[in-house]
Amino acid sequence: MGGDSRSPAHERLFEAAAIARDSRGSIVNFFRRILLSEYFILYLTIFYFLSMAAIFPDLATPRNISNQLSNVWPLLAVATGQTLVIIILGIDLSQGAIMGFASVAGGFVMATAADPNLLGGSPLWGTVLTEGGGWLAGRSGSVLIGVGLMLVVGGLVGLINGYFIARFRMPAFMVTLVSLMLFSSAGIWLTQSQNIVNLPPEFTQLGSGDLVSFYFGEKVEATIKRRDILSFLTYPMVIALALAVAVEIMLRFSVLGRYIYAIGMNAKTAAISGVPVRRVIMVVFVLSGLCAAVASILYSARLGGGRPTIGAGAALLDIIGATVIGGTSLSGGRGKIVWTLIGVVFFVLLGNTLNYMGLSAFYIDVVKGGIILAAAALDVARNQLLAGQAA
Amino acid sequence: MKRMMPWSCGGLALAGLAVLAAMPAEAAGKKVCYAFQDLSTGFWGAGHAAIVDTLKKNGVEVVELNGGKDANRQLEQVKDCIAQGADGIILTADDGDSETMLVALAQEADVPIATFNRPPSDLSKGIIVVADNESVARQAVEAMIVQAEAKFKKTGKKLHPLILVGDLADPNAVKRREGFMNALKSHADLFETPVEINTKWNSQVALAGLEAAVTADPNIDFIFTSSDFLFPTIQGVLEPRGKWKKSGDDNHVILGGLDGDDGACKLIREGYVDSTGVQDVYLEAKLALDSIQDAIAKGEARPNGVKLDPGFALSQANYAEKGPTTWGCMVLDAKK
Repeated sequence: MGGDSRSPAHERLFEAAAIARDSRGSIVNFFRRILLSEYFILYLTIFYFLSMAAIFPDLATPRNISNQLSNVWPLLAVATGQTLVIIILGIDLSQGAIMGFASVAGGFVMATAADPNLLGGSPLWGTVLTEGGGWLAGRSGSVLIGVGLMLVVGGLVGLINGYFIARFRMPAFMVTLVSLMLFSSAGIWLTQSQNIVNLPPEFTQLGSGDLVSFYFGEKVEATIKRRDILSFLTYPMVIALALAVAVEIMLRFSVLGRYIYAIGMNAKTAAISGVPVRRVIMVVFVLSGLCAAVASILYSARLGGGRPTIGAGAALLDIIGATVIGGTSLSGGRGKIVWTLIGVVFFVLLGNTLNYMGLSAFYIDVVKGGIILAAAALDVARNQLLAGQAA
Repeated sequence: MKRMMPWSCGGLALAGLAVLAAMPAEAAGKKVCYAFQDLSTGFWGAGHAAIVDTLKKNGVEVVELNGGKDANRQLEQVKDCIAQGADGIILTADDGDSETMLVALAQEADVPIATFNRPPSDLSKGIIVVADNESVARQAVEAMIVQAEAKFKKTGKKLHPLILVGDLADPNAVKRREGFMNALKSHADLFETPVEINTKWNSQVALAGLEAAVTADPNIDFIFTSSDFLFPTIQGVLEPRGKWKKSGDDNHVILGGLDGDDGACKLIREGYVDSTGVQDVYLEAKLALDSIQDAIAKGEARPNGVKLDPGFALSQANYAEKGPTTWGCMVLDAKK
């Protein structure tokens, strides 16, 4: 059959086939673009949220979303610091210990009363801590000084980590592991494994206080129940977002930010190019310690106590997991705070949806691990595609 | 720590359901969250099985929340639970301060809450189901003292007692220590000053402390553990020293514990352990479940009150009488 002898019917058939081919191609291209986008985890999170919300409609209620957001902020604060460390090809295992130690330090300053039966065995009992409370109990400015001390503790531990890593070229894994052991044990020793409760309300407000809250529905009773008032703008949100935005701006627009990426890509080349590698490494670990201290403030305030075990257990896995799932590369040189925010949201959403599934406690962590593995595998596939494209 | 095996969970569930079968079902169709701190001992495993299976059997939707001994994680889980519109919460937190905070959080949101076995520091808020730990520990130690008196008569030498203390942030651990000390105080002529080993409810910490204590004083011959899950740890320390012997043997170390779990029951049957204080896990589960279901049925948002499990001591002497009503022995028999 010659090309010129096609009937109008054949022409229409060819046109339809071409359109189908084009639309198939555009669908493939659409998914390819999503898969290769640097915001892939964001799209995955949205897809996961929508799928789960179709099955569990309560997931999308304002009450649940408001509650989930409140769980995002402390984790974002600490993961922000971890992101910086991972970008320079390091890891900070001491963040959990810093959180616990800073929490205890704040408690020793701010507590308004202490139980001698529980804390009487503390080596600081009778000097820093008494039945009347902490060192500055009830005095004006105690919260400010307590918060300041928590930040100083975080920064100092970070400085110690950074000094040993930069000055002696010790592996970050080893140095921060030692810090983890040292400072978590010190916190437990100082409190004899007790919590320092009775923190002032001005401090606990930082963990859960609302700046703007809202209420849906008619006001049919004289008072609105607390459970019906939904938090929107909270202290933890403002603090964590301010920290995250400041660090993101520093990474994107400052010389220090460019140095950090350069060290992560190749420290030797960066040094030859004039980057003060040692100083930058120390600054990054100080920032990581400060971020952990900010998280400690938020966690201690929401839990209402100076707790040596804040940040113990699986907390470090959540911090590193959320950072890496967000897209920050364990190979260094690549990462953004906004990616970490997405990773944190994914982690929090995952925990929330697992609660909705009504799974037995024996299986929940298995399912959680499986979903994280699937997300990580997709991310690896995406990176390989990207690498192939670049080649 | 001892971990629950799947087959033992089945046994626990069967034994628990048999005891709780007569529960009322006023809360059918409601949602109840059970937030616990872990399932690492037989007691918590049995409590979990009894609570979850009974609620499901009564047509209640159960949301299981394992805090993994992380106070912040458990706080987020309880907040999730409230946000999901749960009708009630049964809670076991890691320490009394966390219990107090979480009870206050639930009550502020008008969700009825009952604490299971581990009491908050503030006993005035929430339904608090707890064993009379001081009394149960004292009864168990008094049963051990009967053996100690016989040994003292035989040897004329004071005994060297040791207590494995739990985590002192846990009010249960504090009360059990008190019970031990009170029992010894009334027989001061029989004992040297007791050695205290802080375990933090961690078998590794307990092992290290016990090894050090037994090495420092090889004459220790009277050991009380604040929880039965540490008996395998004690065995691991005593056996290599030739002191893991049955009652009646000259090298027998008088042993007692608290919980009344299947491991302790087996060791009492075999003659290695002299007594254990039994907290009735099924009674406590029933008290917590009844309280929550009542509160839901009556529309009570903030029910308060303390429900006490009086407990008892199971010993080699009263095994025939008390064994069949001990939850650990029921679990042990269900495994057969």
